[in-house]
Amino acid sequence: MTDSRWRALLQRIVYASTFERVVISLAALLLSILVGGVLILVSGRLTTCPTAAATYLGVGFCYDPITVFDRLFFGALGDPMNPLFRPFAGEFAPPFRAGWSPFNSEMAVTLRETAVLIFTGLSVAVAFRADVFNIGTQGQLVVGAITSAVSLTALGPVAPSGIAGSLLLIPAGLLAGAIAGGLYGAIPGALKAYADANEVITTIMLNFVAAKVALFLVSGPLQRADSQIAQTEPIPAAASIPSVLFDARTGFSLVALAVAVCTALACYYLLNHTTLGYELRTSGLQAAAARYAGVKTDRTIVGSLVLSGALGGLGGAIYVMMIVGDFQTGVPSYGFDGITVAILAGSNPLGVLLAAPLFGIIQSGSIVIDTTTNVPPQLVDVLRGLIVLFVAMPEFFRQFGRRFFEDDGGEIDG
Amino acid sequence: MAEIAQRLKRRWLELALVSALLLALGVLFETTGLTLGDVISKRFLGATLRLSVPIAFAALGGIFAEKSGVINIGLEGHLIIAAFASIAGVILTGSVWAGFLAGVLASTLFAVLFAVVCIEFQADQVIAGLAIWLVALGLGPFLSTVLYGSVNTPQTGSFQAIAIPGLASLPVIGALFDVTPPVYLLYVAVIGCWYVLNHTAFGRWVNASGENPQALDTAGIDVTRVRYVSVILSGVLAGIGGAGYALSIGQFTGSGETMIGGRGFIAVVAYLLGNYNPIGAFLSTTLFAGLQTLQIQLQTGVLPASLVQTVPYITVIVVLAAVGHTRTPAAAGEHYESGDE
Repeated sequence: MTDSRWRALLQRIVYASTFERVVISLAALLLSILVGGVLILVSGRLTTCPTAAATYLGVGFCYDPITVFDRLFFGALGDPMNPLFRPFAGEFAPPFRAGWSPFNSEMAVTLRETAVLIFTGLSVAVAFRADVFNIGTQGQLVVGAITSAVSLTALGPVAPSGIAGSLLLIPAGLLAGAIAGGLYGAIPGALKAYADANEVITTIMLNFVAAKVALFLVSGPLQRADSQIAQTEPIPAAASIPSVLFDARTGFSLVALAVAVCTALACYYLLNHTTLGYELRTSGLQAAAARYAGVKTDRTIVGSLVLSGALGGLGGAIYVMMIVGDFQTGVPSYGFDGITVAILAGSNPLGVLLAAPLFGIIQSGSIVIDTTTNVPPQLVDVLRGLIVLFVAMPEFFRQFGRRFFEDDGGEIDG
Repeated sequence: MAEIAQRLKRRWLELALVSALLLALGVLFETTGLTLGDVISKRFLGATLRLSVPIAFAALGGIFAEKSGVINIGLEGHLIIAAFASIAGVILTGSVWAGFLAGVLASTLFAVLFAVVCIEFQADQVIAGLAIWLVALGLGPFLSTVLYGSVNTPQTGSFQAIAIPGLASLPVIGALFDVTPPVYLLYVAVIGCWYVLNHTAFGRWVNASGENPQALDTAGIDVTRVRYVSVILSGVLAGIGGAGYALSIGQFTGSGETMIGGRGFIAVVAYLLGNYNPIGAFLSTTLFAGLQTLQIQLQTGVLPASLVQTVPYITVIVVLAAVGHTRTPAAAGEHYESGDE
């Protein structure tokens, strides 16, 4: 199954021209929203409600897709739009609603999710560039998160208090998460490099193993004393990443977001301007050619999964130190969202910086949907799958584009 | 020479892994007080067969798709959607068999979508397969919440075991003849798939479509059509697996990774281990399903349940590493474009 030839098609997605890729990603996103809208309408006919939420063509529907997507996108930003701002009607009131602050709590949730998703998106993207399908970011994140929580609890009593403590504990927590995630990523890496075991399967299996072992640990040996739920002891206060400008209760820190953005820039530099990055990319492009060029492909495969796992583990550490303050079961599926982020970003670290906020909005918006509409928030999981599906078929958009631009002789696929 | 050394190294690796597995099983028996008599029993065999249904049917489907040149890694998604649709079908119609058909139909529709995406629009098969899984993983729980207010459906009617008089009372293997209709269907499907692949013209076309599509094209057979039929067949088979599994429980549970819990991915390993042979795939399925049965029985023992639950997943990894690089169909994963379009 690991024959390099069957990945040739992937390369068309990964290495298509940047412009075409951006167009395809946007088109895929739009199409997913359209299909999602139809799904909302159809579901609205399947369920029952006292009054119809919307009526189209004389038919009443229990769910209104326009409301849902309005809540999803604008709700996630804390409703910035001024209802009086109607440029198409010739009314130019200020575009932002009076009293709207970019530091609102919905925005904080959006950015909080974005910070974690940058890490998981990078994790999947870096592996993709080396032609490795790391579906195991979720498991690597769980392992990183629990290791980070446990090491911080252990370090807490010996660390100095105040700023000095934070300066020691925060890097230590991140390091612990990265190392644990990296080691967990090394397992499928070694199995692929030295035993030819398909990494799609091994990483998915390791996700299950990580979840079960984490459940065992937090409901047994590592469970917080006198706690009814499966959670570890809280991490020391000095290890929480401090929030800046935003309310501390929202669990968002601009510092963490800055770390995430810097990590993305570092990944970009690493992939495009270092020997290691060159080795990763060439072994991804053409394994045989890379071997002739002196690249040790086995080591590169392990290296890419270690790096990928470390990024997932960092995401887990951020999740613990910024959002929950301990490790508990029921970790959101950041790893799977990371797959969508990476695919939408064309596996480019800079693209991840654009795709992650979009998914941050969608995740944060799903909470708004849950509280303000009667549409199940699982809708966003369907959207996640649809986006991956549509980005995976660039040929569909090319054919559509050809048909659309044929009349004026426009060429859209070079 | 290098190749022989490589192969020897491979054999040693396999031997070491298999011994490690046996050792682990030995330790398991030793520490838990489980006896061989517990494993060689009607109850154990019956439970194993029931748990084989989703894995084995998905594996049979995966064989057709991959042999024809389209890797269907999204079998998990087919199982999930079939499981949900079958339960919804029973709730809607009140008939278990109507629910079963609804499940198979839903999975088949997903296969048609997957086939169009891969064959017509030349999508990367692995990413498209993962997308099918992610869509089903979202859609099952979403629709369950829309219809029943929870990611888990209400309990419904389910398939009951049918005992074949005489045969069912045989010691131990009598369990083979006291099973639910999906298990009987599985016996038929394993033999049927083996026959179709090895003794019919269609089986030869499927083979050629994955190994040498040019030759098939030259012989005047439409490669695209063979691939469409194979992929859709994989959806039908996986659908029987997903519906059969859900209807033996009588409920769809959609929390976490849903009730399917990675069985579609285990199916891929099962057919690789069975070297694309339906009978081999069935036998390797019983290994994984047997471990799941063992795991359920061990949960009542001294070991913590969550740790014991990792055993089947770890076994899949160990087996995959030991099997390593099987000889995949030469053109699997490649898009085929006929010259005379």
